[in-house]
Amino acid sequence: MAAAMVSSAGGLLAMLNEPQPSLKHHALSHLNNLVDRFWPEISTSVPIIESLYEDEEFDLHQRQLAALLVSKVFYYLGELNDSLSYALGAGPLFDVSEDTDYVHTLLAKAIDEYASLRSKAVESNEMVDIDPRLEAIVERMLEKCITDGKYQQAMGIAIECRRLDKLEEAITKSDNVQGTLSYCINVSHSFVNRREYRHEVLTLLVKVYQKLPSPDYLSICQCMMFLDEPKGVASILEKLLRSESKDDALLALQIAFDLVENEHQAFLLSVRDRLPAPKTRPVEAAQAVETTSTTAPNENPSGDVQMADETPAQTIVHETDPVDVTYAERLTKIKGILSGETSIQLTLQFLYSHNKSDLLILKTIKQSVEMRNSVCHSATIYANAIMHAGTTVDTFLRENLDWLSRATNWAKFSATAGLGVIHRGHLQQGRSLMAPYLPQGGAGGGGSPYSEGGALYALGLIHANHGEGIKQFLRDSLRSTNVEVIQHGACLGLGLSALGTADEEIYDDVKSVLYTDSAVAGEAAGISMGLLLVGTATEKASEMLAYAHETQHEKIIRGLALGIALTVYGREEGADTLIEQMTRDQDPIIRYGGMYALALAYSGTANNKAIRQLLHFAVSDVSDDVRRTAVLALGFVLYSDPEQTPRIVSLLSESYNPHVRYGAALAVGISCAGTGLSEAISLLEPLTSDVVDFVRQGALIAMAMVMVQISEASDSRVGAFRRQLEKIILDKHEDTMSKMGAILASGILDAGGRNVTIRLLSKTKHDKVTAVIGLAVFSQFWYWYPLIYFISLAFSPTAFIGLNYDLKVPKFEFMSHAKPSLFEYPKPTTVPTANTAVKLPSAVLSTSVKAKARAKKEAEQKANAEKTTGAEKSVSESGSGKGKASAEKEGDSMQVDGTAAVEKKAAEPEPAFEILVNPARVVPAQEKYIKLLEDSRYVPVKLAPSGFVLLKDLREHEPEVLSLTDAPTSTASPATGAAAATQGTTASAMAVDDEPQPPQAFEYAS
Amino acid sequence: MDPQLTEVSQQFERFKAAFVRKDYNSCSDLLSQLKVLLTKFTSLPPLFENTPNAVQELTIARDIYEHAVVLSVKTEDQDAFERDFFQLKPYYVDARNRLPPSPQENLILGLNLLRLLVQNRIAEFHTELELLSSATLDNPCIKHAVELEQSFMEGAYNRVLSARQTAPDATYVYFMDLLAKTIRDEIAGCSEKAYDYVSIGDARQMLLFSSDQELFTYVTEEHPEWEVKDGFVVFQKAKETAPCKEIPSLQLINQTLSYARELERIV
Repeated sequence: MAAAMVSSAGGLLAMLNEPQPSLKHHALSHLNNLVDRFWPEISTSVPIIESLYEDEEFDLHQRQLAALLVSKVFYYLGELNDSLSYALGAGPLFDVSEDTDYVHTLLAKAIDEYASLRSKAVESNEMVDIDPRLEAIVERMLEKCITDGKYQQAMGIAIECRRLDKLEEAITKSDNVQGTLSYCINVSHSFVNRREYRHEVLTLLVKVYQKLPSPDYLSICQCMMFLDEPKGVASILEKLLRSESKDDALLALQIAFDLVENEHQAFLLSVRDRLPAPKTRPVEAAQAVETTSTTAPNENPSGDVQMADETPAQTIVHETDPVDVTYAERLTKIKGILSGETSIQLTLQFLYSHNKSDLLILKTIKQSVEMRNSVCHSATIYANAIMHAGTTVDTFLRENLDWLSRATNWAKFSATAGLGVIHRGHLQQGRSLMAPYLPQGGAGGGGSPYSEGGALYALGLIHANHGEGIKQFLRDSLRSTNVEVIQHGACLGLGLSALGTADEEIYDDVKSVLYTDSAVAGEAAGISMGLLLVGTATEKASEMLAYAHETQHEKIIRGLALGIALTVYGREEGADTLIEQMTRDQDPIIRYGGMYALALAYSGTANNKAIRQLLHFAVSDVSDDVRRTAVLALGFVLYSDPEQTPRIVSLLSESYNPHVRYGAALAVGISCAGTGLSEAISLLEPLTSDVVDFVRQGALIAMAMVMVQISEASDSRVGAFRRQLEKIILDKHEDTMSKMGAILASGILDAGGRNVTIRLLSKTKHDKVTAVIGLAVFSQFWYWYPLIYFISLAFSPTAFIGLNYDLKVPKFEFMSHAKPSLFEYPKPTTVPTANTAVKLPSAVLSTSVKAKARAKKEAEQKANAEKTTGAEKSVSESGSGKGKASAEKEGDSMQVDGTAAVEKKAAEPEPAFEILVNPARVVPAQEKYIKLLEDSRYVPVKLAPSGFVLLKDLREHEPEVLSLTDAPTSTASPATGAAAATQGTTASAMAVDDEPQPPQAFEYAS
Repeated sequence: MDPQLTEVSQQFERFKAAFVRKDYNSCSDLLSQLKVLLTKFTSLPPLFENTPNAVQELTIARDIYEHAVVLSVKTEDQDAFERDFFQLKPYYVDARNRLPPSPQENLILGLNLLRLLVQNRIAEFHTELELLSSATLDNPCIKHAVELEQSFMEGAYNRVLSARQTAPDATYVYFMDLLAKTIRDEIAGCSEKAYDYVSIGDARQMLLFSSDQELFTYVTEEHPEWEVKDGFVVFQKAKETAPCKEIPSLQLINQTLSYARELERIV
């Protein structure tokens, strides 16, 4: 038996008591090897070993050995703190590269300890004594990771421990610097909780990036945007633009598009302003237009910019230096992109050309809601606006002018504002479109103040986040009126158009409206101030708070509370004092604002502290409003991690308090918007048939937000939900609240002609400011219906739009490697014949189906005959409802069969892929299936499955075929636009060719 | 032959010579040198490597430690005894199937049992006993210790004292003397609990002293709290144990109420 083992450590332990030091050493070294087996025995002798460690007379090695031994025993005893402190005493004997549980555990412990010490040192700004031995261990660990090539670990530890020097070392020494850098960016966004520290990390990353021989400018610029360093971005862009190579220019354009996607208006503007002014004439013209358009409303800017872009060739003639010319030309382009105009225009074209909205749904809704029920009536108008958001298609309104005219007072306000949603992004013609409704300066043109206010709000929506050209006009309108409805509209419009610019002058104007202490105007002013100051965390917040305490009007307090919350957007810890102040306030409305402040300050961070606080308020506050908002706010905090939300709010969704349930529904709706997450749907499903009407409303809206753009093929519950909505809308006995919810839900479900989704994160995982703000204000519709339109800010088109060097959309095919049915548009509802349309949308009932339905109904009636008459009635109703549903279903399938037969044989198997043509609808779930064709003429500058992608042309000399020619390009002769503008009231004259028709001036029969 | 082994055996011879001469001081010196030398043998516990000289090395090491144990008895050093015995033990337990059993084994084991008895470490005594085979239990050395323990437990202290004469080995005498003292302590502890006071004569008889003088020295040395007056030994009653701590009722009530409130509030 070679491996005879001792059965006890007693002998060695006894040896420790020997007077001879060499014997003790012998015993220690053997014990150290045996400790894994005999630690229980050794643990009784720990005091002896400790005294050996502390004995100054021993030589160092021996004392370290003793320390190591004690450390191991403590480790086995689960006393990690003691274990660590002795391991530190063991000095070099503690081998970080040893592959044992002991070493792993202690290393983890040491790193934790070190990291927490370091962050404490940084956070409290004082020198915390860090054991140099601890530091040595962590450094040894880092070195080892780096030498072993485990760079990701090293980076993780370095970030955690705030050792930026080591982080830099790890990155520069790694073999794939680009890869490590992008990994590091991801890590810093998802795991670094403190904003300031994240900034430090990103600054370092930018520094490292710039040292690289071939920097990844896309990532650098993203970082810089996060750091708010427009100067750096501008200089990079300038460098790229000056380059000889066309590829570099393409890259610069791509960077610009990526930046625009993050919707950081103030940043984009300052980048743009830092770029040098181009010298060529076309640009001057464009700029002139830009500036003049603000002051001279009669000059139509639409065509000029576009034309200038298209015809640089003509103007080049005047120039001598071709390099300068190309540079100038590129500058023009990039400025266009940075101002957001290019992407907005392209989006508009896309949404218009791909509009697949289903007017029949609206028709059904319109016919089923009672005329006199103004809530449902305006809900239908909202639904229409949302359904056609950004498509410029207002056919429905046009066809139902009579019906529309029933909207009075505030309903008229929102009806007019709805046009803004429909024409969202129609920057060039926005003014002229809304002209008929705008206040006619001083003439007192007899227009209702409601439609005038609505028009100003609409202008804000059209120019949301890109209000360069409209700000001045809105300010003038605001100043020249003292009607509170118009002030209301103007305030909202200004807030939207100047979102996040922190423009002092506008702020002062809005503030003066606030100080008139009019409830209606003051509320809008409060929100508007918040919108202006989004994310600035200025001193002005305390000014607003002071006024909120002063005023008597609840509306104003609420507006201000939300406004204050908006100012701290994304500030994380920086907002803590303000949040604390608000959440401790006596006034529930201010506390309510505090919840929003928490939501927005920590939006998308999934910060544990914020979640804990919100949950605390959700169960402990005395005000229902505050509790509801606290739950709702969870949705904002968690949207970067949607899978979490259903789990966290699942208990709350079963609360006895309907307000909490409502909040839970919307929280899921917000954070899981557009994901179609199965758990989210399962959580919402029971809530859609809640006993309380407003919970049903919230659940329906939330469900629609979750299911937007999810096809029935990928989740069958989508179809069921559509049928449920229809049933609720058709049901005469349904509560108004839930009916309104259902109508809005149908609007959201088919939003933007079904080409948009709700997205709070950009593709680079940055928060989309506008979208988050939009949803936050949208969730205020509980108090003020017109705010529903803010949801349009959260819509982002789901499109792949490939662009060539000239920012035109060439014909370009690529492949979606999935069954087409998975991602197709929902089938249009069946065409009803006129006489049955009201009751049964499906007119193609076969007699047998009818008979079946009837038989079923009768049978059920009979079965329930004994019951009370009331019960009988309800049962028969439900029976008929069911019968109807099944009848519809069969009608549906028949219809489908019919169409399928026309197209192809129904039995033919579905192809496994489809070819999409640029620009194409690519829904988020589809993105992973997108592939490029191999022998394609174009190659994208960066690999991205959706959004704006610049394409490199491999065959430059062949003629290009352009798509999107049927789009509402602004090639309209300027004359027409000018004419339209001058004619003013006769807006119908603007209809040109296939351009989207601006609406007629509706006549209100008020 | 391995030079180290030779060196050890030469040293050991010297040690044995000194041992026979009863020159215990030089014995101790030699012994510690030997122990250091032994640490160089890898065949010894805890490594048990299979070196060519393993058997000789193990045998000589065992021999050395056995001598060390006996030496510690001679020098009346209990700590050293314990140390040496523990170091010796692996040779008996773990090296059993490598070495021929040692003639001294039972003697030493018996000594150890006795030591535990003397130190009143009854639990360890029984643990040791459990480890022995039934055959060894019949060995006179072991049997002696076991019987002593039984009498000790029964309280038949006179039998324990008389066993001194039947000790199987001369080395046992040292422990038997110590045992008498252990017994005396035990009796003293019992009487303290049992009586308030005892007459001097009875006390002397109970505590197995031959003269009153011895009794008095014992009292002053070991139990200074006892009083000797009027021909009686008065034991100081152990102080009343402090009453149980009061239950923090108010605090508990408050806590429970707050839990109830929280429960109501949740969801």
